[in-house]
Amino acid sequence: MSTEKQPHSLKAETLPYKAEHYREWRRRQIVRMSITYLAPLIILIVYFHYRYIGIEAESRRMQLGAVAEHQANTLDLFLTERRLNLANLIDHPRFSIPPTSREMTEYLTDLKRISDAFVDLGFFDATGIQVTYAGPYPSLESRNYRDEVWFNALRRSEDNFVISDIYMGFRQQLHFTIAVSRIYESKLIVLRATLDPARMYEYIQSQQAAGDVITSIVNAKGRYQLVDDSIGRPLGPCPISVPVEQQYGGGTAETGRSKWQYAFRWLRNTDWCLIVKSVADTGTIFSNLQIRSMLVSAALLLISIAIILNRSKKLVSQQKRVDQTRAQLEHASKLASVGELAAGIAHEVNNPLAIITVESGLLMDYTDPQFGLTLEHSELRERLQTIQDSAFRCRDITLKLLRFVRRSDFDLKEHDIHKLIDGVIVGLLGKEIEVSDARVVCDYDRSLPQLTTDGNQLQQVILNIVNNARDAIAGKPGEINIATSRRGKSIVVSIQDNGSGMPPDVLEKLFVPFFTTKDVGKGTGLGLSVSYGIVRSLGGEIEVESIAGEGSTFRLVLPIKSKRSINRSRNNQ
Amino acid sequence: MSDKIKILIVDDEVAFLESMARRLEIRGFDVRTATRGADALEIARSEQFDIALLDLKMPEMDGRQVLETLKKEDKYIEVVILTGHGSVDSAVDCTKLGAFGYLPKPYELDKLLDTLKDAYQAKMEKKFQANQELMKRITKLATGSSALAILRELKKVNDENLF
Repeated sequence: MSTEKQPHSLKAETLPYKAEHYREWRRRQIVRMSITYLAPLIILIVYFHYRYIGIEAESRRMQLGAVAEHQANTLDLFLTERRLNLANLIDHPRFSIPPTSREMTEYLTDLKRISDAFVDLGFFDATGIQVTYAGPYPSLESRNYRDEVWFNALRRSEDNFVISDIYMGFRQQLHFTIAVSRIYESKLIVLRATLDPARMYEYIQSQQAAGDVITSIVNAKGRYQLVDDSIGRPLGPCPISVPVEQQYGGGTAETGRSKWQYAFRWLRNTDWCLIVKSVADTGTIFSNLQIRSMLVSAALLLISIAIILNRSKKLVSQQKRVDQTRAQLEHASKLASVGELAAGIAHEVNNPLAIITVESGLLMDYTDPQFGLTLEHSELRERLQTIQDSAFRCRDITLKLLRFVRRSDFDLKEHDIHKLIDGVIVGLLGKEIEVSDARVVCDYDRSLPQLTTDGNQLQQVILNIVNNARDAIAGKPGEINIATSRRGKSIVVSIQDNGSGMPPDVLEKLFVPFFTTKDVGKGTGLGLSVSYGIVRSLGGEIEVESIAGEGSTFRLVLPIKSKRSINRSRNNQ
Repeated sequence: MSDKIKILIVDDEVAFLESMARRLEIRGFDVRTATRGADALEIARSEQFDIALLDLKMPEMDGRQVLETLKKEDKYIEVVILTGHGSVDSAVDCTKLGAFGYLPKPYELDKLLDTLKDAYQAKMEKKFQANQELMKRITKLATGSSALAILRELKKVNDENLF
C-alpha cells in the first residue's frame, strides 16, 4: 500500500470510531473529571458556607445576648432607682405621716423631675386605703386597695417593696406600681407610685444598639409587659416561652413565615424577662459577606467547569490521535500477518483451483472425439459438483481473508468462546496446523457462559498466539494445549505449547511493537503488541509464562462482558 | 511388462488425484495413486515407476520425505513436485534433493505432459548411459580377465543395482 500517495484518505480511514463514540467518550470524561474535581470543591464550598452561617448566627446570638444583658441592666437600674426614689421619700425625716396633699403634690413634682415615667403618687395606711393621692386621677383617693394584687404582695414582701406587673387597675389605663412599705408605730404604711410603661419603654429604646433589635418584656406568665407594636400588644401572649429556671439565654423562634433569633434575660428586681429580637429576619436575607463568598464560589465552579470542558476536548483529540495510530498499527500488523499467511492461503486456494482445472480438463477430454470416450450423466454431474464445491472452497477462503484484513470497529456481541477458538484452529489455520509438527489438544470447560466481545478481533489474537506456538514447536513434534476456564468475572483461554520457550530477555520485550525473534521478513514484531492492545481494549489481560527450552503459556483473561469505551480509555492512559 | 510410462501420483486431495490419474490414463500412461506418503512408498516398493508426481504438503509424511526415500530406493525414478504452495524456496530445495522439476498448482495439462516427457527422456537417458557404462565394463571385463575377476565385477554391478 502506498502511504505517500494518499495520506489524507488513509488518515480519515483510520479513525476506528464514529463521532458519536467520541461524544459519548467525552461525556464520560466530563462526568469522571467532575466527580474527581468538582465534587470535592462543591463539598468544600457547602461546608464552608454552612460553617460561615453557623459562625455568623453564633456571633449574632452573642451580640443579641450582649444587648439583652445591657438593656436588662439598664432596666434593673431604672427600677432600682425608682424604688430608691420612693424609699428616700418615705425614709426622709421630714416625711410627715400621713403626708398632706400639698406635700404629695410637691413630692410627685420632684419625682417627675427625676423621671418622667412617674404618673402619680399615693400614700396608703395598713388597711389599704389610699389616704393621700397626688396625680391625674384624684378620684382614686380614699379608695381601698386591700384586695389589689400588688398590695397583698407588698404585705408579704420581705424586702418591703414591690414592683407589679403591668395592669389596667381602677383607672383603666396601662400602668404598673412600685411601692415601698415601712412599719410606723407598729402599723404598716405604704408609699406607692405608678409609672407609665410607655415612658419606661422609650427610655430603654433610647439606649445604645436599640435600633438593631426589638425589645420586649414579658412577665412570668408569658404576657407582654412592654412590646413593640410590630410584634404584639401589652398583656397579649408572647409566642416565645422563656424558660423560668434560666437566668439568660437565647434561641430562634418562628412567627408566621419568618424566623427570629432572640436573646432573653430575667430582671433582678421583678419577675420580668427582657427579650431582644434581631430586626433582620435570619435565613432569608444574605449578608454582604455571604453574597461575596457565594460569588467567589460560583466563579470557582465556573472556572473549574471551563477547565474540565477544555481538558475533555483536549483528551478527545488526544484519544483520537492514539486511536488513529493504533488503528494504523493494527492495520499494518494485519497486513503483515496476512503476508505471513499468504503462502498458506495460496496453498489453500491453489488446491481447489487445481481440482477445478483437472476436473474441467477431464470433461474436455470426454468430449474430445480423438479419445472416443463416453460419459455417464451421473459422472458428469458428479464432476460438475466437484468443480462447484472447489469454487466455493476458494470463495470461503477469500472471504476469510477479506474479513481478516478488513479493519473493523469494535463489534461487541455474545460469542461462544469455543466456537471462536475452533474458528481459528479449524477454519483459519486448519491446513497450516494439520501439516505442521504441532498437535492441537483442546480442553474446553463447556459450562462457561457466553462472552460479550469482538469475535473477529479476539480471533486475531488467538490466531497470533497459536501461530507463535506453532512456530515455537516447528522442527520437532509438539503439542499445543488450548484450555478454557472461569476466573471470577472473566474467562481464561490458556494456550500452552511445549515448544522452544523464551529466555527472560525476550519475555521482557514480548509486547514491544516491532520486537521479533523471527527471521527477517518472517515476523513483523507486531502480532503480540497488537494482540495485547486488542485484549486490553476488550478489558482483558494477557499473562505469559515461559521457560526456555520447555515451552510457553499464554493466558488471555477476558471479561465476560467487555465494555466499549471505558476500557478503551483506560487502555490509553 | 507394458511399454506404457508408469506414473505414481501422490496427493491428499482425492478429487484431484482421481481425475488427474484419469486424464493421464486417457493419454496412455500407466497410473497408480496414493493419498498418503507411506502408501506411496509401499506401492513404489512393489512396482517400478518411471515418474512420481508428488504433492509437497501432506499430513504425516510430507512430499519432501517421500522424495528422499523414493530417490534412495530407486535411483532411476524421476520425481516431479506438484504443489499449491507457491514459494520458490521449496522448489529449489526439492531440486537439490533430486527432484526433476516443479509444477505449481494449478497448471496446464500440456505443461505437465511436457514435463513428463522431459522427465521420462531424462530417465531413459540416465538409464541408457548407465547401460553404456555397464556395456563398457562388461566389454573391458570380457577382454582378458580371469573368471574370478569377471564374477567379482558382476557382483559389484549387481550390488549397484544397475539392472
